[in-house]
Amino acid sequence: MLLRSVFTKTVRDLRWPTFWTALALFVGGGYFTLLYPTYATQFKLTELLDQLPAAMKALIGAQVADVSTATGFLNIELFPMILPAVLAGFAIALGSGATAGEESRGTIDVLLSYPVPRWLVVTQKAAAIVLSVVVVAAGLWVGAVLGAAASNSPLDSGRVAEALVMAALLALDFGSIALLLASGTGNRGLGIGVSVALLVVMYFVNALAPVISGLDSVKQASLFFWYLESNPIRHGISIGDSLVLAAVAIALFLASLVAFERRDLAA
Amino acid sequence: MLAIRTEQLTKYYGKARGILDVDLEVRTGEIFGFLGPNGAGKSTTIRLLLDLIRPTSGHAEVLGLDAHRDRLAIDRRVAYLPGDLSLYGDLTGAQTLHYLGNLRGGVDTTYRDELVRRLELDPSSRIRSMSRGNRQKVGLVAAFQGRPELLVLDEPTSGLDPFVQLEFERLADEARREGRTSFISSHMLPEVEHLCDRVGIIREGRLLAVESIATLKERALRRLEIEFASPVPPDAFRDVPGVRDLRVDDARLSCTVMGSLDALVKAAAGFEVRGIRTQDTSLEEIFLAYYGAGPEAPHAAA
Ligand SMILES: Nc1ncnc2c1ncn2[C@@H]1O[C@H](COP(=O)(O)OP(=O)(O)O)[C@@H](O)[C@H]1O
Ligand SMILES: [Mg+2]
Repeated sequence: MLLRSVFTKTVRDLRWPTFWTALALFVGGGYFTLLYPTYATQFKLTELLDQLPAAMKALIGAQVADVSTATGFLNIELFPMILPAVLAGFAIALGSGATAGEESRGTIDVLLSYPVPRWLVVTQKAAAIVLSVVVVAAGLWVGAVLGAAASNSPLDSGRVAEALVMAALLALDFGSIALLLASGTGNRGLGIGVSVALLVVMYFVNALAPVISGLDSVKQASLFFWYLESNPIRHGISIGDSLVLAAVAIALFLASLVAFERRDLAA
Repeated sequence: MLAIRTEQLTKYYGKARGILDVDLEVRTGEIFGFLGPNGAGKSTTIRLLLDLIRPTSGHAEVLGLDAHRDRLAIDRRVAYLPGDLSLYGDLTGAQTLHYLGNLRGGVDTTYRDELVRRLELDPSSRIRSMSRGNRQKVGLVAAFQGRPELLVLDEPTSGLDPFVQLEFERLADEARREGRTSFISSHMLPEVEHLCDRVGIIREGRLLAVESIATLKERALRRLEIEFASPVPPDAFRDVPGVRDLRVDDARLSCTVMGSLDALVKAAAGFEVRGIRTQDTSLEEIFLAYYGAGPEAPHAAA
C-alpha cells in the first residue's frame, strides 16, 4: 500500500522519525501550556523578565511578547528559538537524506533505472518531507491546545497555528538548503553541516540585530528576520513575510531539481 | 536494429580514466558478454548506458534511442541489475519486488511468483538479513519480472551458488528465445562462455575486441600436462598441430594447446598415459595471445 510510488515509499521511510519528532513536540507543547499557570504565579514571570538586560531579552525573544497569557508564554519559551531549531533540524535531516541517502546506501542505481524522471524523484521526496514537517508542527499544536485546555490557560489556538505555519516555512527553507547541497553533490554531511551553520548564524544575526548596530543592516539576509519580524503569534500570520519564506524554499527546491538532473550519480 | 550502440564513448572521472573511445554494438536478440578484469570499465560503460553518469564525449544509443534524451522511454523497456547491488534493507524481498514492479507500472505477478520459485528465493525475509546470494536473487527476479526487451546485468553471477547460476542461465536463454537481448558483464569468461553468443573484451578502458564465442573457443589456449609411464621422445610431439611451448622432461610433457586437443591426444595415445592435467587459460591470456597488450597495458600476472 505504501510502496506504490517514490512518494508513498518516502512517507513510509519517514513514518517513524516523523512520529517520534511529532510526539516530542506534542509533549513539549503540552508541557509548556500545562505548566503555564505554575510558572506564571510562582516565578512572577513578567517582573522577572523586566529585570533582564536588553541583550538578554533580545536573545530569548522576550522583547516581542508578554507573558500574561499562555500564548505569550509560548511566544517566549518556544517560538523564537527552540521550535524553529527543532523543526529546521528535522527538515535538514530529511532534506539532506532525500536523494543523498539513496546515493550513500547505493540504492539510487536501482531506483533510477526505472522509468521515473530524476526531477520527479526529488519532487516526490520533497513532498513527503513537507508532509512530515506539517505533521510534526501539528504535533506541537495539538499538545499545546490540549495542555492549555487541561490547565485552563488562556491560549489563542488560531494564533499558535498561524505562527506554526511560519515556523514550518522557515524550517522548509533550511530543509531546502540541505536538499540543494546534498542532492547537488551527493554529500549528505555537507548538506547537514552547511545548513546547520547557516541556521545558527542566521539566528544570532536576527536576534542580536536590535542590540548590535552593525547587524541591523544585514538582518534581512537572515531567514529568522522574515519569520519573527511580524511577531506572528501575537499579530497573526504575515502574508508578505510568509511569501518571502515560501519563495526561498521554492527557489532552492527548483535549484535542487536542476542540480540533481545534471550530476553523475555516485555508484 | 541494434540493442546497444556506442560511438567513441568516453568517460573521465576528473582526470581518472573511466573508458576511452568505446565503439560497441550489441545485436537485438543476442546474449552479449562484456568481459574484462576489475577496473576495466565495465560498470562505467553500463552506467553510461543507463544515464546514471554522463559521458565526457561520445554517444550512446539503447534500443535505437538516445541514452540521455530518451532515458524514460529506454527505462520502460530495459532492466538493469547493478554490479554492487544495494536494495532497501528494511523491505522484505516481496515488498522490494512489489515496489520495483510498481515503479515499472505493475508487472505480471504470476511470472514473478514463478521466478521466485525457480530461484528458490524466500521473499518473506528482510533484505537486511539476507545473504549476498539471496539479495542477488531478489535483484535477478526484479530484473526479469517485467520481461524487458533488454537486460543489462552487471556481474549478475557474482555471489550466486551453482544451482542459482544454472537457473539464471536458463532464464537468460529463455529471454533469448523470446527475442529479447541480454548484456552481461563479467570478469570471468568461464562464468558466461556457455551462455553468450558474442563477447566484447574491455581492458584499461578500451574495447579491444568483439568475438563470437565460437571463434574464441577455437582460439582457446589450454595448458596441458601429460604424465607417461616411461620417458617419451620430444620429436613425437613437436609437429602436432596447435601445440606450443612444448617441454618434455623424461616422462612428463607440458605444453600449451591452441584450439582442439584432438591431435595431441591422439599423439599421446601411442604411449602409456598415467595422467593428464589441463588448465584453461584465463580470458585475459587468450586475449593477450591474440591481440597483444597495448602500449599502456602492462602485462598483468594472471
Ligand atoms: N566514481 C569514480 N570516480 C573515480 N574513478 C572511478 C569512479 N568509478 C570508476 N572509476 C575508475 O574507472 C575505472 C573503471 O571502473 P569500472 O567501470 O568500475 O570498472 P569495472 O566495472 O570493469 O570493474 C577504474 O579505474 C575505476 O577506478
Ligand atoms: Mg564493475
